[in-house]
Amino acid sequence: MSYPRLKNWLDERYDLTDVKKFAKSKLIPEHRYDLLYYTGGITLFLFVLQFITGMLLAMYYVPHIDHAYESIIEIVTKINLGWFFRSLHHWGAQLTILFLFIHLFGTLLVKAYRKPREMVWITGFILLIISIFFGLSGYLLLWDERAFAAVRVATGGAGALPVFGGFIKAFLRGGMDVTGDTIVRFYAFHVSILPLLSLLMIGLHVLLVQYHGVSVPRSEIKDPQPTVPFFPNVFYKDMIIWLIVLGVVVTLAVLAPPEIGIKADPLAPPPANIKPEWYFLMVLETLKLFPGTIFGLNGETIAIICVVVGISFLFLIPFFDRKANRGEESTVFTVIAVIYVVYFVVMTAVGFLS
Amino acid sequence: MKQPFLIWAKSRLINIPRIFIAAAAWTVCLPLCAARATEKIAVFPNAAYDACIIYQNLAIFWFFIIGLIVIIGMKLKEIDRIQKLGIDRDDENAPRLD
Amino acid sequence: MKLKYSLITRRTFLNTLFGGWLFAFFSGAFYTLMKFAFPTLGKEPDFVVLDRKDFSDIPNNSVKPFAWGGALGLYFKKEDGSVAALKGVCTHMECNVAYKPEEKKFYCACHQGWFDETGRNIAGPPPKPLEVFDVTEDGDKLIIARKGVKVELPKA
Repeated sequence: MSYPRLKNWLDERYDLTDVKKFAKSKLIPEHRYDLLYYTGGITLFLFVLQFITGMLLAMYYVPHIDHAYESIIEIVTKINLGWFFRSLHHWGAQLTILFLFIHLFGTLLVKAYRKPREMVWITGFILLIISIFFGLSGYLLLWDERAFAAVRVATGGAGALPVFGGFIKAFLRGGMDVTGDTIVRFYAFHVSILPLLSLLMIGLHVLLVQYHGVSVPRSEIKDPQPTVPFFPNVFYKDMIIWLIVLGVVVTLAVLAPPEIGIKADPLAPPPANIKPEWYFLMVLETLKLFPGTIFGLNGETIAIICVVVGISFLFLIPFFDRKANRGEESTVFTVIAVIYVVYFVVMTAVGFLS
Repeated sequence: MKQPFLIWAKSRLINIPRIFIAAAAWTVCLPLCAARATEKIAVFPNAAYDACIIYQNLAIFWFFIIGLIVIIGMKLKEIDRIQKLGIDRDDENAPRLD
Repeated sequence: MKLKYSLITRRTFLNTLFGGWLFAFFSGAFYTLMKFAFPTLGKEPDFVVLDRKDFSDIPNNSVKPFAWGGALGLYFKKEDGSVAALKGVCTHMECNVAYKPEEKKFYCACHQGWFDETGRNIAGPPPKPLEVFDVTEDGDKLIIARKGVKVELPKA
């Protein structure tokens, strides 16, 4: 299989020798934890899947308060395979966030963020925040009871931030409350602003990974470092894993299509035992730990500040972990990383079971 | 005119106002309950025949995925073999045929 | 002459198999995507409006065909004069079915499938009953609609 004329056509116009050389010489280190390497590839693949299914769903969705819910019902009940693509988009989103967290915590535990890869960590973290906002904005578009309540709580929580809170809340809601304007706004976020931002960030993230090469955990550094060529060895392994992930998403989409609740009614009380998406449970449970007032101050504000501080610390962790940057053992930060992981898992589990 | 009716109404074990309230409650509640019951939107084709076809397609899909994985596995083995022989690198000085 | 070794190397064989398999896989995925993107692919109407006088004077125990989108619909007047409408497409392999007045059954000639007067599959390979439509009369119009669909006639 070769196309000499196409090859000639390209060769006459573009000098691709550097690209070819790079593709051939790209090496992936081999070590005990190299399975973590694939989690990044999985999220990339899931992002592509979300883009494709999202584009298709956007062809039928109507972002208007009177038609949003009805248009989704039409997609699910009338359009060919509509139920399948909505389900696929839903499960794709769930798995994207799941693998983003696995990728993040894996990177955190092996300290792949250390010098010189601080910016890889930062861009990746921004991608996680973008993805969570993707989830929130996409969820409102359904405009059923649960979506309405979830978005009301989430944007209200942002409103509890000091100084900027009210401003952020009004910006997100497009008004004082969650209304039809919020749907249009979240639609704009979901299909135009966030995809463009995430494309930019994915590009930067992947480019930086190529620039720095794949990190090796400190304990696994050897001389010489055993490596495998990316192409073809790792590329084909990536492909196998993508295929398995695709199979899992499709199976979940077929076997467990997400339910659609009753159409949102701003005047009705929220349904009993309402829960947000699983990746918000951790924050929700944390907020529950705080009493209503602490030393005469609003407990919710303090709780939100604590959450923001916790997230900001994680975001900026490469700049705090000086020892790892110098290439020394930094046990303190290993402990911190383990605490973050355990806290996340436990709180999510508590929220899930309560 | 009024008096006998009221006496009749009060003399019954089930009085009229209560029946009226119950009836009103039922007329309001029943459609609501029915609406709740039918509101569950079919997110999956509910005919057994369609569901069967979907599961069949899922099985075919998995067959294709597993097939691809097996082929890629064979390719990886082949690549390993060639890399061990050391013949995967192009010889820069090889004479060209064309 | 019998060759001791195959002229096709293992590598070429694998590459061809791999390429073909990938192509099949992606065509399947692409077809699925397109099926969703083009709602007209295999989509049927929610209802059709017919002229009532064309259908009112057919004899009892007989059918008259009408166009249900691109498929065959059957307007059916039973022995007792009651009317029904159903999709005249066999649920097995999508052949058109025919009405047999003497047996009061629908028959699919492709694989000998039988349906009774209510469209129920009673014999042969058909896996499910014929689709039955709602029939309503509105002035000189005869409206045949899919079950459970609210008919909204375009304003004249």
